[in-house]
Amino acid sequence: MTKLIPIDPAEARRSSVVAGREVPVNAYRSNPAREAQIFGRDGLVRIYRDMVYIREFETMLDRIKQEGAYQGITYDHLGPAHLSIGQEAAAVGQSYHLQAHDFIFGSHRSHGEILAKSLSAIAKLPEDNLIDVMERYMNGRPLRVVESFSRGGAKDLAVDYILYGTLAEIFGRENGFNKGMGGSMHAFFSPFGVMPNNAIVGGSADIAVGAALFKRVNRKPGLVVANIGDAAMGCGPVWEAFMFAAMDQFRTLWDSDLGGNPPIIFNFMNNFYGMGGQPQGETMAFGVLARVGMGVNPEAMHAERIDGYNPLAVADAVARKRSILEAGRGPALLDTVTYRFSGHSPSDASAYRDRSEIDLWRQQDGLFRYGQYLVENGHAYQSLLDDYQADITERLTRVLAAAVSEEVSPRICTENDGVGDLMFSNETRDRMEEGKPDVLIPLNESRLSQTRAKQRLGLDEQGNRLSGLRAVTYAEALFEAMIHRFYQDPTMIAYGEENRDWGGAFGVYRGLTECLPYHRLFNAPISEGAIVGTAVGYALSGGRVVAELMYCDFMGRAGDEIFNQMAKWQAMSAGVLHMPLVLRVSVGAKYGAQHSQDWSAMVAHVPGLKVMFPATPYDAKGMLNLALRGTDPVVFFESQRLYTEPETLEAGGVPVDYYEVELGEPAVRRAGNDLTIVTVGATLYRALEAASVLAQEHNLEAEVIDLRFLNPLNYEAIIASVRKTGRVVLASDACERGSFLHTVASNISQLAFDDLDAPVTVVGARNWITPPAEMEAAFFPQKEWIIDTIHERILPLAGHSLSTDQTTHEIVRRNREGT
Amino acid sequence: MAQAVVMPKPGNNVESCVLVSWKKRIGDQVEAGETLCEIETDKAVMAVDSAFSGSMLAQFFAEGEEVPVFTNIAAIGQPGEIVDALRPAGAPHESSSEPSAPPEVQSRESAHGPTSHVGVEYREPAISPRARRLADQNLVDVSTLAGSGPQGRIIERDVRAAVEQQQLMTPLAKRMVAQGGYDAPSHGTGPRGRILAADLAPSAAQTPEQQETDDYESIPVQGVRRVIAQRLLTSLQTTAQLTLTRSADAEALLTYRERLKASGEPLGLRDVTLGDLIHFVVSRVLKGHLDLNALFEEDIVHRFNSVNLAFAVDTPRGLIAPVVHSADSLSLSQISTECKRLTAACHDGTIAPADLSTGTFTVTNLGSLEIESFTPILNPPQVAILGVGGIFLKPVDEDGEVHFRKQMSLSLTFDHQAVDGAPAARFLQDLARGFAQVDLLLAV
Repeated sequence: MTKLIPIDPAEARRSSVVAGREVPVNAYRSNPAREAQIFGRDGLVRIYRDMVYIREFETMLDRIKQEGAYQGITYDHLGPAHLSIGQEAAAVGQSYHLQAHDFIFGSHRSHGEILAKSLSAIAKLPEDNLIDVMERYMNGRPLRVVESFSRGGAKDLAVDYILYGTLAEIFGRENGFNKGMGGSMHAFFSPFGVMPNNAIVGGSADIAVGAALFKRVNRKPGLVVANIGDAAMGCGPVWEAFMFAAMDQFRTLWDSDLGGNPPIIFNFMNNFYGMGGQPQGETMAFGVLARVGMGVNPEAMHAERIDGYNPLAVADAVARKRSILEAGRGPALLDTVTYRFSGHSPSDASAYRDRSEIDLWRQQDGLFRYGQYLVENGHAYQSLLDDYQADITERLTRVLAAAVSEEVSPRICTENDGVGDLMFSNETRDRMEEGKPDVLIPLNESRLSQTRAKQRLGLDEQGNRLSGLRAVTYAEALFEAMIHRFYQDPTMIAYGEENRDWGGAFGVYRGLTECLPYHRLFNAPISEGAIVGTAVGYALSGGRVVAELMYCDFMGRAGDEIFNQMAKWQAMSAGVLHMPLVLRVSVGAKYGAQHSQDWSAMVAHVPGLKVMFPATPYDAKGMLNLALRGTDPVVFFESQRLYTEPETLEAGGVPVDYYEVELGEPAVRRAGNDLTIVTVGATLYRALEAASVLAQEHNLEAEVIDLRFLNPLNYEAIIASVRKTGRVVLASDACERGSFLHTVASNISQLAFDDLDAPVTVVGARNWITPPAEMEAAFFPQKEWIIDTIHERILPLAGHSLSTDQTTHEIVRRNREGT
Repeated sequence: MAQAVVMPKPGNNVESCVLVSWKKRIGDQVEAGETLCEIETDKAVMAVDSAFSGSMLAQFFAEGEEVPVFTNIAAIGQPGEIVDALRPAGAPHESSSEPSAPPEVQSRESAHGPTSHVGVEYREPAISPRARRLADQNLVDVSTLAGSGPQGRIIERDVRAAVEQQQLMTPLAKRMVAQGGYDAPSHGTGPRGRILAADLAPSAAQTPEQQETDDYESIPVQGVRRVIAQRLLTSLQTTAQLTLTRSADAEALLTYRERLKASGEPLGLRDVTLGDLIHFVVSRVLKGHLDLNALFEEDIVHRFNSVNLAFAVDTPRGLIAPVVHSADSLSLSQISTECKRLTAACHDGTIAPADLSTGTFTVTNLGSLEIESFTPILNPPQVAILGVGGIFLKPVDEDGEVHFRKQMSLSLTFDHQAVDGAPAARFLQDLARGFAQVDLLLAV
């Protein structure tokens, strides 16, 4: 949505045809003389050597998995090993022209890409630079081990380092590149531009786009390659990544000096199998995978099929795409034909393919053919090539001996919450990088001057509630937190649906459009998966990002990105990566079954996320400030019931100046000795109403606690309250079954069992779809539900008239019925 | 209109009595003054006579039950009269096992409290963990509580109400109740009604279950025996008692006793016993040792100028210690007469509560059973008790020669909390001297 690009009906309705751009298929023609010129003899030979490294490295893993030994060294590897034997040419060819600052993201089958990209970087980087990288990484600890067995100079040391760090990671050792927390499918080494490999098929596509976005927005050099498989073409987020990367606005609306579309190559390692399914001819319909580029943009993503069995063809393609990307005309799509001789995994008996097919491909083996090419064109004697094989085998034997040793390569200590220490970075940074933030107007000319001028407390002197027009609202409190950080952190960007111009569906960003250039605040396609996935890539590349989901219900569209990517990468990287990503999620009401759900329990369940849910304007600003200064992934829930509400509970109102709410601390909203009511989100206000009724009609003083945080959560204040009152009811708008409040209830029961005078009781929304707005009172917890529940399960109330059935019998009935 | 018969309070310290037996049955005609039932206190069995004439309409307690004093035990009136108003609240005829509905709960749907549950088998009325802990801390018997929580659950407020009703109790008494086997009375004998360990009665509910297989008889410890058992245990548990033993020359005592026996009928002194003589001497010597004629209660020692001399009487129902009031002002003859009266009343079970109270010192005599010495157990709150043993020939050094003289053993148990060893020893010394010079004391 932008006023800058009008939609002309005459144009829209005009008759014409869409002409397709042709998609080249295996267009590369070998020209040995020219190739000798481009790569040089050393380069051509190194390509062979690197392919041998990969072939032998994976052969070693294959032996270990299948026979438990390699070169006399025995080892039982329990974890996975998805091998790419046969695909070496594609990996080495791709990395040949890539620089260390170019990123590659990969898949579960990316050992070869890790080695190829690293070996390329080692070849390019000066020795002192290599030493510096190895000394810094994990405080030089893996390097100390490698020094004990490595022979030769700094480059040899770096090669051994890469082999050892990757293997130790695969074996789950603390000296692994990610302390063993990533393992075979997730290993990476960011100093050489080897970025996270992803065990979710297609998972790297949108993350890589986010990394490319980071490079564009922050004017970083280099391009980004997303290495995914041909079967990933069936994954929605991959298509979403295409749409995001190909958006017109990068060229039409963004500042031209940024360079246009994000520099991304979607490289499909097309080995023709998705585990055992066969995309070409069986599970998909594209025929030639590169065809799909035609559906994305007029350039057809510059898509082409290339011969992945010829490393030089691949290197040529990457070089050509680089120039396109540098011109801002991405994204690019490569359909890199290759084939794995090995199975999907060691358990794969290749029941889905004929032996004869494998034999045909073996006859065309890229490694063997390329060796022949070198000999035939006088670049190397066969004996030199044979020497590489012997040297690499010997070198890998040394690496393996170190990697399997429990003494040399111990595992991370899992006592004392050893893995737990890796779950969050728990840092605070005002800005992720130094620099002057790109803004359009000074802060004091922004809408901030208007919100600052409003009443900061939503009550007048008589205690009457002020209108949201006069007093600063929950939405404006969020705005103040956002604009503060935008003017502090040059890397911070925000996007989602309708974020620019409209200011978000609920106006939280109103006034930001005037302050920020497009590249810091923009509208995303309706691609929730890519919205979150790109934000993950942006954040792990080093930038601060706020992504927005217009309704909590849309989290389902971004499930993998929230649960498997956003939540996991800090820990899977063992702290190498940070995830300064705040995902704002708006919890709706009045819009029926697909727009009114509180799914906070889902994200609280998944380890690795901080989960916040402010219920007052004071907390909205203080908690968003907290989230935005941190380096951890935060799912930040907001309630559409509250956006227009002023602050009525914090006596001082919403402070004008910057402040933060203390992480994990619930807020006591009303003190009392007789009963504790714990709430999450907007239910707080109905609980306060219930507390008033209890006080006026039943002489019971309820203590009302607003949880605010789901994770982390400090139970001390809750337990102190329950110790005092002995009675606790928990309420939120989330459906009762599986509500996070049941987790809290369970913990209270354990932490304060002997203090309880009644069972800990949860009041949630009915386990139904959300009915129409007019019927919502029958669905969401009302103050009467809370009081009825107290009467039925906690403390009989004299003279109380029931309006709902909150009996234990009803609990049994509802569960029996599944409702 | 029907009249209530109340359980009398036969003595200041009596809180409840056991209803031993009904002498009238329901429906019997009763005349004023007729005995309705017999009751037993910790000290005696006595009759309850009717103050009214009429028909025995109702009996609210069964034989063997312990009934608080001033509680209605029966109703007398004209046949057909309604007696429900007279029925006491705690009477067992009103079943207390039925769960009572939570109080004052109204509902739109029906007059129920928290709605009953259906479909899931729940246990009998439960108790919340918080209420359980409060009950444990305050030794509240939750089985007697009616829960006011959902489904009759006992919740904190129920226990707290019981605690507020609960009497003051010493820590020892609480511990004894908590360990089981004892029931606390509704009010204690300590300051402000505090229940002392001495006030506790063994639980009646404890009955051995192996009678059928083993060849022994199980006798419920009840009535006087129960009181004795409790008192003696309490004595040992709550006092710092120790015993001093020495011999006293009994020649003079025996000689004088012979003279009394030989005296003429008109003097009326022939039945004066050795025990009477001992009581006489003790009553006189105590006057010079008032620190032993004392009661020790809650950090206060009450010394009495007058000697209320208790003496142990062995009866078929157990040990009873009637009191010779102001023994120090009575002659030997008067003491003898009083002791005989009290002993007879103890044996008959007609001893009046007043004759059993306010002793300041106790004498217990096992001399006739040829005991050489023993360790009498204090009768708290008294601070001393004298045990008198048998009389035996013992060698005595007299001017360098050994003579055999009749010696009586004296065992003085005293509470070291109130009295030190030396004063107690001096009392014993004076007592021995008094026995040796009984003739002189008689002249004082």
